[in-house]
Amino acid sequence: MLFLPHWPTDYLKRRDPQLKAPLALYERIKGGLRLAALDAEAIWRGLSTGQNLADARAMVPELTVLELDRPLLEAAFADFADWHSNASPLVSVMNEVSGYGDLVLDITGVAHLFGGERPMLRLLLTRLRDLGYTVAGAIAPTIGAAWGVSHFARSQVVERVDLEAILDALPVHALRLTPAQAAGFAQMGLKTVGQLRQRERKPLQARFGSSLLTRLDQAYGVIEERMAPRLPAAERYAERRFADPIGLMDDVLMTCHDLAIQLSIRLEAEGLGGQAFHLFLYRVDHKVMALSVNSARLTRDPQHITKLFANRSERLEGEYDPGFGIDMIRLGVSSVAELDAVQLGAFSHQEVAADLDELNDRMSSRLGTMAVLKTQLVASHIPERAARLVPALVHDSKADRAGWPVQPRPLRLLPVPERIAINAEVPEGLPASMIWRRDSYRIEKAAGPERLGAEWWRSGQRLQLVPPHVPKKPEPGEKPETPPYVPDLAAFDPEALTRDYYVVEDTGGRRFWIYRQGFHRPDQPAVWYLHGFFP
Amino acid sequence: MPSPDQQQRLAALRETIADIERKPALAEARVQVEQPQGAFPALGGGLLQEIFTDERRNVGALLGFALAQAKGLLTAQRVAVIYLQLADEAQKLGMPYGPGLISFGFDPAALVMVRAASMAELLWAAEEAIACRAVAAVVADIGGQAKLLDFTASRRLSLRASATGGSIFLLRYGQGREASAAHLRWRLSPQGSAHKRYDAKAPGALRWRVQLEKGTIIKNQTEFVLGWTENGFATFTAQHCGADRLIGRAPLPRAVSAPLADGLPQTA
Repeated sequence: MLFLPHWPTDYLKRRDPQLKAPLALYERIKGGLRLAALDAEAIWRGLSTGQNLADARAMVPELTVLELDRPLLEAAFADFADWHSNASPLVSVMNEVSGYGDLVLDITGVAHLFGGERPMLRLLLTRLRDLGYTVAGAIAPTIGAAWGVSHFARSQVVERVDLEAILDALPVHALRLTPAQAAGFAQMGLKTVGQLRQRERKPLQARFGSSLLTRLDQAYGVIEERMAPRLPAAERYAERRFADPIGLMDDVLMTCHDLAIQLSIRLEAEGLGGQAFHLFLYRVDHKVMALSVNSARLTRDPQHITKLFANRSERLEGEYDPGFGIDMIRLGVSSVAELDAVQLGAFSHQEVAADLDELNDRMSSRLGTMAVLKTQLVASHIPERAARLVPALVHDSKADRAGWPVQPRPLRLLPVPERIAINAEVPEGLPASMIWRRDSYRIEKAAGPERLGAEWWRSGQRLQLVPPHVPKKPEPGEKPETPPYVPDLAAFDPEALTRDYYVVEDTGGRRFWIYRQGFHRPDQPAVWYLHGFFP
Repeated sequence: MPSPDQQQRLAALRETIADIERKPALAEARVQVEQPQGAFPALGGGLLQEIFTDERRNVGALLGFALAQAKGLLTAQRVAVIYLQLADEAQKLGMPYGPGLISFGFDPAALVMVRAASMAELLWAAEEAIACRAVAAVVADIGGQAKLLDFTASRRLSLRASATGGSIFLLRYGQGREASAAHLRWRLSPQGSAHKRYDAKAPGALRWRVQLEKGTIIKNQTEFVLGWTENGFATFTAQHCGADRLIGRAPLPRAVSAPLADGLPQTA
């Protein structure tokens, strides 16, 4: 756990070196301007958060003040957190107390790469202090304990045997309390976590809520606390660091190809393949760009992976900004599963499907997943529901429509039906002429209607199968009977979503699929739409 | 006027040059045509075909003709047809509809639809798709006039198609014809449907009238009146269907042979 108490001011000072030392950020709280973040010098001058801005200015006339921009700071802190994935792949921002300032790193199995936990903590802290950040850190067996120690004790590594002793000595605020809970403890005179832990649990829960006990158990490791890593967790990865930062996308892609070869050799040795690949570009100025591509089937082919990233990068265009250069590139793979070695060229049938999937991957990586689609048939009578477009990458069990009656259906369907004007010789008869897109058509042949109604359960309506309940008059001395429960839905109106479809052919041989909304009523003008085109 | 003997020699020479000029596809297609007299031939793969229709409202027939040909190209090795469209033209032209494909006789599972955001992406996808060995045909639906789709682009596509053996169908609208390296160019217009038994008022089996404007597949025949069943094309004679009812303007004159990049007249 890393704790940066003065992150907002440190960050702004790093961004703009012109800012003078006593710096305070204010926020509009309940109509008043109050200080929300201070740097070390402002605190030394006696200012505190929550103070009125006017008071603070009176106390420290040379104070520099800025308005606090929470979204900007949170985004910047997220980038900052991503950069720390060079220390551990699992990094998250703890945003329960504040949107910035608390960084959680899961260093299980990582510390030995930095020479142990103690040197690792020292490295992380000195690295940030050199950059001008005020930082405290702690390594502890639980997230809760690390948070408490980093906030309320000196930076240290807490071993499991010392955990209780160290935690007991911490003030109660080390349990991530809400302000109300903190005020309650001040009233009760409970100062340290140790004192709190000796109390009975039931009264504590009754007074402070179960969240307090959860925090307590999490700190001592009685129950588990989870973190949600910001970057996708790659199960296997290959990386390369550069002595001189690189900038060109072509160089990045060449490196990506090299890394893909390394990764595929490892995957092949383990008999695995992956479906999701992530390329992380670590910029010199502590930002991380992540590109992700997916493939329809398990793969470990370095050519294919590189090609997907090349396509994906073309879609970036303006967004790609290497800044001052990229000093580390990491290629990770997730969604890993077993993939047996295949002999190329022996089983051509397999190969055909694989070829097609690779083509779909390439097209989706460049055009976007929602641009490469295939049809999925759905058992529904409503025309626009009967076919659903799904990304071609999705593998599904093929719905078999072999036994279904084949209705005449148009080859092309308009995504949104278009209004048309229809004239008929007889009011209820077949259409005789049509106006669509300002062109008039004389209709020679027509067939229909085919009546298609909406399924009642989709329309949010209630079928009226049972006669409505009529309450009896209660006899004297008898309790009035309670009416049965009826959901408050509109009664089912079969007309509302019913359409009468016609196939019509004009003098030129063009054939259209048109429909009338609702039933024919002599007193109301009919509303007609054009929905599709027959070949 | 050259004598018939000279004409024959000229034709033979042209074919030889066409073979050298990496246009083996058309030469092959001409050989494959072994059909009863006057019937519409089943064309092989590796061709770039442009299919024009005069008006945008003929969209249904246009897609039908392309898919009907593409269906003949599907084999166990070539299992997919890629349909390309610009994303913002979907409402203008409509999108292929699964149940409609079934009633047309085309398996919707074999059709992959690609909605490109721009013409450059569409052409990229067409090239990428035709290079894939599992793709039988690429159907590109181009609603407007595209500057990017010039002679160079179509030449690229036609070379790709002849190299890999898949066919590309460019669906185009309007009466303008630009220079293109397509092997075949069709002009399609829908025709009044056939008589339906028991219900004279209802539309019957479909009829299309296609005219070949560029390229040859059968000597001395450039016009077909076609019907379609799930099993293939049916060819009708023009008067059978009433050619006098052909609406619209008079059919365009045959394209004038112009010397193109390879120095050969593209129309035989």
